[in-house]
Amino acid sequence: MLLVILWLVQDLLTVFIGGGMQIPGFFMLGVAYKLLIDEGNDDSLWAIWSAFAGGALWDLRWVGIPGFFTLGYVAVVLVIIQVWGLIPPQGRISGTGWLVFILLEITQLIPPMLPVLILGGNIGWSYFLYQQAYSLPAIFVTMAIYSQKVRDMKV
Amino acid sequence: MDNNNTRNTTREWAHGLTALILGLFLLGVSSGLGIMKNIIDIWGAILFVPEYPAVVLREIYLGWRSRSNDNNYLNTEIAKLRNENAALRLELAKITSEKNYTISSDDVKTARVTLRAPMSWWSEIRIDRGEQDKITQGLPVFSEGYLIGRISTVSLMSSWAELITSPSFMIPAVIEETRDLGVITGEGNGVVLLKYIPAGRSVHLGMKVCTAMVGEQLPPGLPIGRIAGEFPAGSDGYKMYRVEPGADMSRFYTVSY
Repeated sequence: MLLVILWLVQDLLTVFIGGGMQIPGFFMLGVAYKLLIDEGNDDSLWAIWSAFAGGALWDLRWVGIPGFFTLGYVAVVLVIIQVWGLIPPQGRISGTGWLVFILLEITQLIPPMLPVLILGGNIGWSYFLYQQAYSLPAIFVTMAIYSQKVRDMKV
Repeated sequence: MDNNNTRNTTREWAHGLTALILGLFLLGVSSGLGIMKNIIDIWGAILFVPEYPAVVLREIYLGWRSRSNDNNYLNTEIAKLRNENAALRLELAKITSEKNYTISSDDVKTARVTLRAPMSWWSEIRIDRGEQDKITQGLPVFSEGYLIGRISTVSLMSSWAELITSPSFMIPAVIEETRDLGVITGEGNGVVLLKYIPAGRSVHLGMKVCTAMVGEQLPPGLPIGRIAGEFPAGSDGYKMYRVEPGADMSRFYTVSY
């Protein structure tokens, strides 16, 4: 439900902006947050297929050709699963701030980068760089929520 | 425990790779599938309801912003007047021509651009008006009072318009000052060309180009743009000109019809 709401928020904000710029990928931040928090959940298949569905629907709405964000979202989930899986569960609670930041940043980096890499062009790159700058506040907010959650889990 | 972990990792990889392959398959195959447009339209129609508040908020915000900025306000007014002018030209064409156009220009109707796909950036756009808004195939689409394309496919709540920058877009056009007839077409990269103008005519940069009499739904006299460049005459004795569209083809969020 959280992911559906985040997808809609991302969509509504894009409609409000008028498609003139890419707004932060709230949906993928949500997927990453849930992946990082779900310590007891061994199975991450929900994340792979949620990312696939979310990406395909985003492509259908804003790109016109399904595949760009579908691939990007799934790739992000696979990266997070693999990198996070390398750290022992006991070590995930503390001292991983930078890693969490990098993983959250990846959610904003890979999906919009794929269309730029495929289509190229200067307009694409500047558009992409702006999107990265706008994403930083959303990443910091997600990190704050994550830190709070980790603190609660410790208690 | 280790076995379980290995099994989970294998399953995750298997599902992940399947999802990636499916994504690649979609990317490779879907652009050539006609049905994809229908799926996009259906998804757009479903999202119309939840997106409606954002559309209204955006209109309120844009209205407020244009009122608070004199220049913006004047630009909006100019665009509105240009659109009105285009509608009046349509009306005039309707009156002076024997053809019965299926369009009504009692007032200027606007539509929001809901999709401009990167892969077909210079070819087509989708707008949020369809059959229920009396949109028909071939209807001219304007931005800032200049022709930017025509409706190519119509569904119940949305339509697709082919842009003048599309290579498959071809309409007869006339240079207003010299009355020379040619064909307007796109190059697929943002460039608009006026083809088949006989060499030796006194065509100058800045001359106006508009639609000529046609056998379809586009009436004559709709402004397109101005002559902005000239190519050397070919061996067939005809010249080609580059046309600068009157509308900004890179910045339209709403269009009129």
